[in-house]
Amino acid sequence: MLALQVLINGILLGGLYGLMALGMSLIWGVMNIVNIAHGALIMLGAYVTFWLFTLWGWDPFVSLPATIALLFVYGYCLQRFLLNLIVRAQLFLTLLITFGVEVVMVNLVRIFWSSDLRQVTPTYAGANFAVGAITIPYVRLWVFVTTAILSVLFLLVLEKTRLGRAIRATSEELRAARLTGIPVAHIYAVTFGLGAALAGAAGGLWGMLFPITPIMGGALTLKSFVVAVLGGLGTMMGAIVGGLVLGLAESFTATYLGPTYPNAISFGLLVLILILRPTGIVGRRA
Amino acid sequence: MGRRAMGQWSLVAVIALGLMARPALGADEIVLGSAISQTGKYAREGKFYVDAYTLTVDAINKAGGVKVGGKPYKLALKLYDDQSDPNLSVRLFTRLVTSDKVNFLLGPYSSGITIPASAVSEKYEVPMVQGGGASGKIFDRGYKYIFGTLPKAEFYFQAAIEAAAKFTPRVQTAALLYSNEAFDRSVADGARQWLKEQKIDKVYDEEYQPSTQDFTSVLAVLKSKSPDLVLVAGHEENALNFIRQAQAADMAPKMMVFTVGPPTADFRKTLGKAAEYVFGITPWLPDMDVGGEIFKSARDFAKQFQERFGYEADYHVASGAADVLVYKAAIEKAQSLDAKKVREALAAVDVETLYGRVKFEPTGQIAMGQVLVQVQEGKLVPVYAFGKMLAKPAYPAPKWSMRK
Repeated sequence: MLALQVLINGILLGGLYGLMALGMSLIWGVMNIVNIAHGALIMLGAYVTFWLFTLWGWDPFVSLPATIALLFVYGYCLQRFLLNLIVRAQLFLTLLITFGVEVVMVNLVRIFWSSDLRQVTPTYAGANFAVGAITIPYVRLWVFVTTAILSVLFLLVLEKTRLGRAIRATSEELRAARLTGIPVAHIYAVTFGLGAALAGAAGGLWGMLFPITPIMGGALTLKSFVVAVLGGLGTMMGAIVGGLVLGLAESFTATYLGPTYPNAISFGLLVLILILRPTGIVGRRA
Repeated sequence: MGRRAMGQWSLVAVIALGLMARPALGADEIVLGSAISQTGKYAREGKFYVDAYTLTVDAINKAGGVKVGGKPYKLALKLYDDQSDPNLSVRLFTRLVTSDKVNFLLGPYSSGITIPASAVSEKYEVPMVQGGGASGKIFDRGYKYIFGTLPKAEFYFQAAIEAAAKFTPRVQTAALLYSNEAFDRSVADGARQWLKEQKIDKVYDEEYQPSTQDFTSVLAVLKSKSPDLVLVAGHEENALNFIRQAQAADMAPKMMVFTVGPPTADFRKTLGKAAEYVFGITPWLPDMDVGGEIFKSARDFAKQFQERFGYEADYHVASGAADVLVYKAAIEKAQSLDAKKVREALAAVDVETLYGRVKFEPTGQIAMGQVLVQVQEGKLVPVYAFGKMLAKPAYPAPKWSMRK
């Protein structure tokens, strides 16, 4: 029975990990930018949800579209007016500049909103239901369902729409994309906007489960990175599979080995995957 | 007054102004230096100490400063931000001693940072009085220049476990969960001993990483073992996550105790109803019957603090304020600014403060107990201290679904 509970816990949390990594994987795959500020975008999304909830009483699930829209605009501008300047530079430079963006964002948030722990607590925050001996918290279930809906929507946009095709074309063959008249600077900005929007959504959902602080992002960047690589870089399904694998690995490790080990096991898993299958679990073989 | 005399006077005035404006060493100043977290993971607790030091230093200066040889000295602070990084802390403390040449040191926050930082004070033989590190590992190295005003980590759960054995129905089984930081490990070492002493069975004993957010797996295991008492040692964020997720996972032991959190007003507000029945421990409460020079009572101090900084003082703040007051007492007793003489005076200090009686054991740590507190209807109620039941506990805690 314990094992089943742990399995469900792992899947519910793993879905959110997947959503977190989706944005990072997209930006990485299309523009070859390892976005160190990804966690900071998640943090910003969490704060937007928190303020909408605290100031105007917006339910965190209802306010999610607003969070997504705001983060999209923010991400679009960030890429259009800053990152586009260096997008063709070496990887090292893009690493540095996104790191800089992260530092600036975190410290601005700290100055304006302080380092206090914040929490989004709708009335149903602690509610749960039981199936036999298994307890399932409503919020976690809804977070998982929302995550699934957002991921499917995003994959549809990427696969089925003109915009999605333009993004994929830019990613696969930059020169050909330019020749066919795709406005690359705009597509890059849209891509980053989408990545930021996904991060913002993940942040809004994360904030319903865990406390919000200015420095929460660092660990989440790392987690997104692990998930993205685990699943397979640049493949969108990879991020989701990677998230579930990480969620399950953490849950089972914490239960059967003890709560000190989840990180060791996650990173161990990462190393193992990189050795045995460098393209990730669902990544295409080069 | 001749032109020349005027010139001399204005020169003196300029120099005096210059000295006042300078935060570093002035002729009639005693500079207390510290590197304390203002950014990074301890930014929140670090601020408690920065504010406590600032308020106390200002209050002492307003009351006439520190008198040595009949001459009043003003206190001044020289603070750096250690960014919650122990390595940076060591560099900054070295700088405070060697290049800023501050007179004495105040402590950083957290045991993990205090352990290396205190090595600097020992090396340069400059006293450090700190109120942010309680691990026995700070004090068991035979250092002579480190003094601490937080009670021993090993004793943190003593009052809770003693009380648990006296509650009806008596607590039979306990689970112990602690972060793998120096301080919380020491807390757990103590807890094992007290549990054994009270003949309470330990059914779970695990450490976790302080960065842990998700406790659902731990909670699932705890639920399957259903201990009467759950003891959690960690940081405020851990406690917050643990309680909220316990509610969501429907894990409700008869009694839950946390090393940090419940005494902080903000913590209770953030958790709202979920904080009910939760136990905490604190060496200090604003309505305790203590007081001394500068701050006549704990209540008086808490009021001044609230007015100036806009939030409620907790034991971190009181402990930080006590550190500054202890320096005043020790320097006035030594009648000297010599580091060695002040160190001797600190070792022998015995003074009543807003924080309670400060008297150090030979190791340098304060001899002081803890009060077991519980959140009852949003208020913090002292339940048990020093072998005495102070109020009726809300015990056993009902299942989450049975609560209002």
